[in-house]
Amino acid sequence: MALAVRPPFRLEPYLEFGKKAIAREATYRFDVFTSIGSFALRIYLLRMVWVALYARNAAPHGLPLHAILTYSAVALLMGLVLDVDQVSSLYTKLHDGSIVSDFMRPISVPLYFFADGTGEVLFHASLIVPSLVLALFIVHIDVPSGGTLAAFALSFVLGYFVGFCINFILNCTAFWTLEIHAVQLIVTWLTDLLGGELVPLVFFPVALQHALFALPFAAMFSTPLLIYVGEIGPDRYASALGIQAIWLVVLALASVVIWRAGSRRIVVQGG
Amino acid sequence: MTIIETVDLKKVFRSVVRRPGLSGAFAALFSREFEEKVAVENVNFSLQEGEIVGYLGPNGAGKSTTIKMLTGILVPTSGVVRVAGIVPSEHRQQNGQNIGVVFGQRSQLYWDLPLRESFELLRAIYDVPRDRFAQNLRHFSDILDLDRFMGTPVRQLSLGERMRGDFAAAMLHDPKIVFLDEPTIGLDVVAKEAIREFIATMNRERGTTVVLTTHDLADVERLTRRIILIDEGTVIYDGLLARLREEYGTHRILVVTLAENYPDVEVEGAQPNGRDGNIVRLRFNRHEVAAETLIRRVLDAYRITDISIEEPDIDSIVRRIYTEGYNALPAALPI
Repeated sequence: MALAVRPPFRLEPYLEFGKKAIAREATYRFDVFTSIGSFALRIYLLRMVWVALYARNAAPHGLPLHAILTYSAVALLMGLVLDVDQVSSLYTKLHDGSIVSDFMRPISVPLYFFADGTGEVLFHASLIVPSLVLALFIVHIDVPSGGTLAAFALSFVLGYFVGFCINFILNCTAFWTLEIHAVQLIVTWLTDLLGGELVPLVFFPVALQHALFALPFAAMFSTPLLIYVGEIGPDRYASALGIQAIWLVVLALASVVIWRAGSRRIVVQGG
Repeated sequence: MTIIETVDLKKVFRSVVRRPGLSGAFAALFSREFEEKVAVENVNFSLQEGEIVGYLGPNGAGKSTTIKMLTGILVPTSGVVRVAGIVPSEHRQQNGQNIGVVFGQRSQLYWDLPLRESFELLRAIYDVPRDRFAQNLRHFSDILDLDRFMGTPVRQLSLGERMRGDFAAAMLHDPKIVFLDEPTIGLDVVAKEAIREFIATMNRERGTTVVLTTHDLADVERLTRRIILIDEGTVIYDGLLARLREEYGTHRILVVTLAENYPDVEVEGAQPNGRDGNIVRLRFNRHEVAAETLIRRVLDAYRITDISIEEPDIDSIVRRIYTEGYNALPAALPI
């Protein structure tokens, strides 16, 4: 009789999940074109807005026009990756009950979602190159020094994983509510506005800035972007990256706890 | 050897009470009432390795809930489940390696992928050795005729094709036990027969243990002798199907199509059981009157164009047990 010995971890299934997710995303060609098209449109509109605002009020808060345009362009490029809800299949599967298929397989279900989401994001990341080329026709993008770029890259990666955890927790709420659109709307709004995706947080009142800086939403967009444009200098790298890392640890732990609680009380819809 | 065992298995679902109307919907925003529903209770049975058992009952009786606890998807509220020596909900992954599952109403294939790629993915998931995988796939293709649609994305397959794909997918890793939840639902006769043949072959050649839930008595009669009958969450019968039929499936229906419009149709030994135009249904107890006798009586009294006999289906047997009560069948004999 078989004994309940946990089999050794194998990477192979998860690599396959990732590959299949890339292949799946690539089948939706129309999405690719609309995604790049709307990117170009948004970057054009933001350029118009900032140019018009700066014509009346030269360089508020020390960010010159070229810096704010760089900020917006890089924010939109980051959005190609960070705005993807790579865990949305968890919600779909909880909602239609197809999650049962994943639970009866010899795999870690959260790791499945991680692998699947990573594949999805990698596909979207490949859109950065054509989008960047397109962006260079519309605005000038400053390129900072190697050290700044390295700090930005690290900060971006931390921000990506913070975003993954937020999406994971968000989709996990479907274990309880089976409906997540309201919460999703709020989180999107918070990242857009309070996370610095649209407007740099340095334009906000100082007290609010400090509060927002400590929120996980800022860890996704604002921190890497302010590093990129030099608003966060090398002397503040440690604290800025540190806050991101703390959020990552907190949200990752929360994800584990919420997943465990959720998957134990799983209610399969229909049948 | 016992391969599946449940002891005093119980599952209770808690759900929100919905009050009617718009005001009810608003009220639910502020206060919620919960109600508890016992899905299954006191479920005790055991299965020997290599056995096929039909797990039957009306809709909502708790069949799927039981299957979901055996597959580790649902955690029992109380009681014990052991599948191949493992408690499924505690060792979900190990249990997953031992079992194969087919839900007739839900595909476990990857929707966007061609069937072949779904199989490749399953090979990676279950760590099936490549030569074994190739061998299994060839074998299943022969029985289930999969070659014609191996390259088709699953979402474009017909129901019959998809189900055949699902069966192959469930068996690729040579599971010791398969759970089949209404596997022939919605299929045409040809596809049903292909599926039944496949189940019988796997059981015969590989000694796979099969738990089958279905509403189609033909599935059960073709595949198994033992059934477990569940109603309102509890096991009400565990034993031979033949015996249950003998005891409860005593009534048949004689369906007669009349050649003329007779106002009243009365035949000795049968009770009227509905009429639709010229089609008259007559219910009779086969222990009291032979079908042959009854048909002769009908032919003597009326001119008819067609006649047929409806066998009791499992639903009507279940319905009868439910309405009349499950009385005094002696303790079920294990097979």
